[in-house]
Amino acid sequence: MRFLMLLAALAATPAYAFTPTPDWPCIQGRQPHLSLGQVWTGPPPPESARETPEIAALADRVAQRRLPIEEAAAAIDAFAQGKDAGTLAVLMQAIFQRIDTQRSAILGGISRYGHRQVALAERVEARRARMAELEAADPPDFDAIDAEEEALDWDMRVFSDRQQSLTYVCETPVILEQRLFALGRAVAAHLQQ
Amino acid sequence: MRHAFAILLLTTIATPALANKVYVSNEKGNDVTVIDGDTLEVLGSYPVGNRPRGITISPDGKELYVCASDDNLVRVFDPETMQELHTLPSGPDPELFVLHPSGNPLYIANEDDNLVTVVDTKTHKVLAEIPVGVEPEGMGVSPDGRVVINTSETTNMAHFIDTESFEITANVLVDSRPRFAQFSDDGSRLFVSSEIGGTVSVIDPATQEITKKITFEIPGVLPEAIQPVGVRVTADGKKIFVALGPANRVAVVDGDSLEVTDYILVGQRVWQLGFTPDQKHLYTTNGNSNDVTVIDVATNTAVKSIPVGQQPWGVVVAPN
Repeated sequence: MRFLMLLAALAATPAYAFTPTPDWPCIQGRQPHLSLGQVWTGPPPPESARETPEIAALADRVAQRRLPIEEAAAAIDAFAQGKDAGTLAVLMQAIFQRIDTQRSAILGGISRYGHRQVALAERVEARRARMAELEAADPPDFDAIDAEEEALDWDMRVFSDRQQSLTYVCETPVILEQRLFALGRAVAAHLQQ
Repeated sequence: MRHAFAILLLTTIATPALANKVYVSNEKGNDVTVIDGDTLEVLGSYPVGNRPRGITISPDGKELYVCASDDNLVRVFDPETMQELHTLPSGPDPELFVLHPSGNPLYIANEDDNLVTVVDTKTHKVLAEIPVGVEPEGMGVSPDGRVVINTSETTNMAHFIDTESFEITANVLVDSRPRFAQFSDDGSRLFVSSEIGGTVSVIDPATQEITKKITFEIPGVLPEAIQPVGVRVTADGKKIFVALGPANRVAVVDGDSLEVTDYILVGQRVWQLGFTPDQKHLYTTNGNSNDVTVIDVATNTAVKSIPVGQQPWGVVVAPN
């Protein structure tokens, strides 16, 4: 019964949301890729423009989530002084590519997470069937029943712990989008001047 | 006694302080952020129940209505003190509502049971429950108050509801997942946004025919990120503003040609819009960047971003 409720929780979704699947177990809509225009209204990067080592190093640094956003914005401010719009666009593109790549890797991870949960749910079901068999046997093998029950408890516990973490896991792409948008604002601030 | 009278007199004089306060419902923060419309500073935030989404204010500015979606009711607040006055029955999971231009009644979309609930704001009684399409969502009312529009997300229709008989008089099929319905002030046009279809249907309310579908294209933005939600029309009908969700832009549509003239970058997952009474400013709620953007209506530019609570959803500005 508890298992059924867990499975229902996996499928249950508020009416406003998207329907979770093993590929995408989140209620947030799945956006496979971001686009530069979602965070940037400046010019596109000039076609001939390349990432300089300085831009690459800065983009690597500010794209890291462990760097507080205020420090990242300060690093962008320091670089952007006196730079033209084309250079700023190259920086923006470099930051965009790094964060979108990180985000895609996370989307892949969320799919694997979803599939592992489904596999675990199936295993729990199989263990329950085995328990029923063992309990029906005459005479019952109590040692085998105890062993199976313990294994079942562990699987259920892992399943429900992972299910609780899912909320946070599903928020990760949004956190990256928020970071990209904030970095975009920091770069764009130098465009208007 | 004379003292009490003096206080009364004082409070009467003090009421203009209410003008232009901006109220933002924060879906995840379970509160409403109040912003001073003149200084653009946050005055405070106040708890308003669970999962507040739709928000509106009475024409006299004395009652603020909030859809507390997870409490399954509408909570009514004093906009001045943000104290709860009473609640209104709403049916389950109220998301969005619209107030009759006279201030009574309130028409509420109940997403979970496919109804529009009509509630008397004076007696607090349910006047009618109108069955509509699957997952009702957007609500609009004609300026003369004779027609209420409800959009159903799954049936993909705009339902025309007669406010006298509470009967559906017409259904217009629009693009996928219609979210919002907005009349022009002269009542000659109805705009219905379709979140997944990516369009805004322009409907002639007299004939209930679609006269034009507005489409959106933003250089450098993937089409699936363009999801129209909130719509507002200036009083002269010359500009239509459309919030484009995860595209993070508000489109400006020319009222004559119905072509897009501008895409203003605001904040992340821009959802609903609200004018100031003088229509100089338009406020946008940005659900993922947790802020609101103030747009200068004359110049189509974003003038300021103001951090609010968690996941801002709806916005309303107090009347003058």
